[in-house]
Amino acid sequence: MATRSRLSAQTLSVLAALREEPSQWHHGYALAKLTGLKSGTLYPILIRLADRGLVEACWQDEPQPGRPRRHLYRVTADGLAAAAPVAQAESARPGTRVTPTGRAVVRRALS
Amino acid sequence: MSGLSRMRGALARGVLRLVPAGRRDWVAAVWAEAGEVPPGWRRLAWRAGGVRLVARETLQRRTTGVTLLFAAAAALAAWAAWPGSPAGFATSVDLADVITVVALLGTLALATRRLFGPAGGGRTAKFLRIAVYAAILALIPAKNVVEQVLDAPPRGGIDLRLYRLISGPGFGNHWKNEILFLAVMALYATAILWLTSQRARLAPATLVIGTVAGGALGVAWYVIGPLGFGGAPATNPWLPGSDVAPFMVVAVILLFAAPITAMVAAGMRYTALAGGKIRQVVAAGLLTSLTGALLATVSGTGTIAAMLSAPWLRDWLYRDHQLAGVAGLQLLLRGNPAALAYSHQITAATDAPPFLIICVVFPLVALVLAGFGSLGLAASVPGQPAAQTEVPGGDLSSGVASAT
Repeated sequence: MATRSRLSAQTLSVLAALREEPSQWHHGYALAKLTGLKSGTLYPILIRLADRGLVEACWQDEPQPGRPRRHLYRVTADGLAAAAPVAQAESARPGTRVTPTGRAVVRRALS
Repeated sequence: MSGLSRMRGALARGVLRLVPAGRRDWVAAVWAEAGEVPPGWRRLAWRAGGVRLVARETLQRRTTGVTLLFAAAAALAAWAAWPGSPAGFATSVDLADVITVVALLGTLALATRRLFGPAGGGRTAKFLRIAVYAAILALIPAKNVVEQVLDAPPRGGIDLRLYRLISGPGFGNHWKNEILFLAVMALYATAILWLTSQRARLAPATLVIGTVAGGALGVAWYVIGPLGFGGAPATNPWLPGSDVAPFMVVAVILLFAAPITAMVAAGMRYTALAGGKIRQVVAAGLLTSLTGALLATVSGTGTIAAMLSAPWLRDWLYRDHQLAGVAGLQLLLRGNPAALAYSHQITAATDAPPFLIICVVFPLVALVLAGFGSLGLAASVPGQPAAQTEVPGGDLSSGVASAT
């Protein structure tokens, strides 16, 4: 599928990080730590994934006292389906541009 | 809440308004998440990513990008055209030109978007809009250079005699000309915004034909008369000393031939019903004359302005040309290279204002030709008046052969 083939290695690393606990909501900073991506790269990826329906996003219901509400992300069923085959191919290809942390996440998620 | 916090909040809300509504949550999300990042460089880097996201999402909004482009071009034109001289009629005119043209172009873009809708007709429509706006903005500094020369009569000597002889009664209080110039430019901008709008329902092929034919017409007129035809043939560098301008005949033929060719080509491209065909034919002719006149005017006025500022260009263009067309001039110029150079300057400067005539005459010629063409087309469809055969809101692509 054309949509799947356009997923970059960085996008795959985000999907893989979300796949680790697919039923859980993830915070942006936690995803940044898992994938090694900076906020300026991570959020455009999350926006694209949400636009394609591969990730869903919502605001935290009950924020911690004195803290602003946080935005949460979770992989959708389509996201799980989209990530799996392409991520396998990516992990098999040497020289991927994902950071070591991100690559480890992809491997863990696919194992 | 401290004043600083309030200011920060107001700034954040202002920045958020720049971002498309559907993306504001994401920018707010980056900002909210910054509290979780360890303070110091890491948090700063996180916030920098947020700023990057704002820039990215803001610039992706086409209207913001176009507005920024227009603002930059207008600022450049204003900077180049802003008069350096402290007083004088030309300075007042130049200030009025800069302010009015920038305000006019901005207002027209906003107003016509509501009236005519956004740009249609593919890339050519967008190119035409940008090119015409750029041409009008570029015309202002060039025109202002010329006006500063025309409004500065020499204090005495042979130059003053030359000035009076060549420029006639002088620059004078020609506010009427300025108002006419601004009105013509407003009409040009409006016409192009209409022709390139979705509501005009012109086929991309029509726009391409009109643009190419108009470009060819403008280039031809510029090559034939790079400094205009106001004082022709005396000021034409290609015809030094000639009282006859055979190329003028070619220029006049082209004035008619270019829009006719464009109209015929647009008509041949169109294969659907007559009403739509008339629309395409008329638009192709009008577009040819508009773009041709504007190109010739901007190029010619720009060359005159460059010549006034660069002596080497003046010398290269004229090459000891004696300006034989002006009576009694040769006597004054004999053996006086400085006076000869000044005569070239002031003659070319007086030739710039008549470009306005080109801007008025070209579209009028095209409209007359288009009127005849429409009558001919309407008559060629027996029993079907043009208005009834038009497809309201129809898909143009079905009726026009591909432009590519």
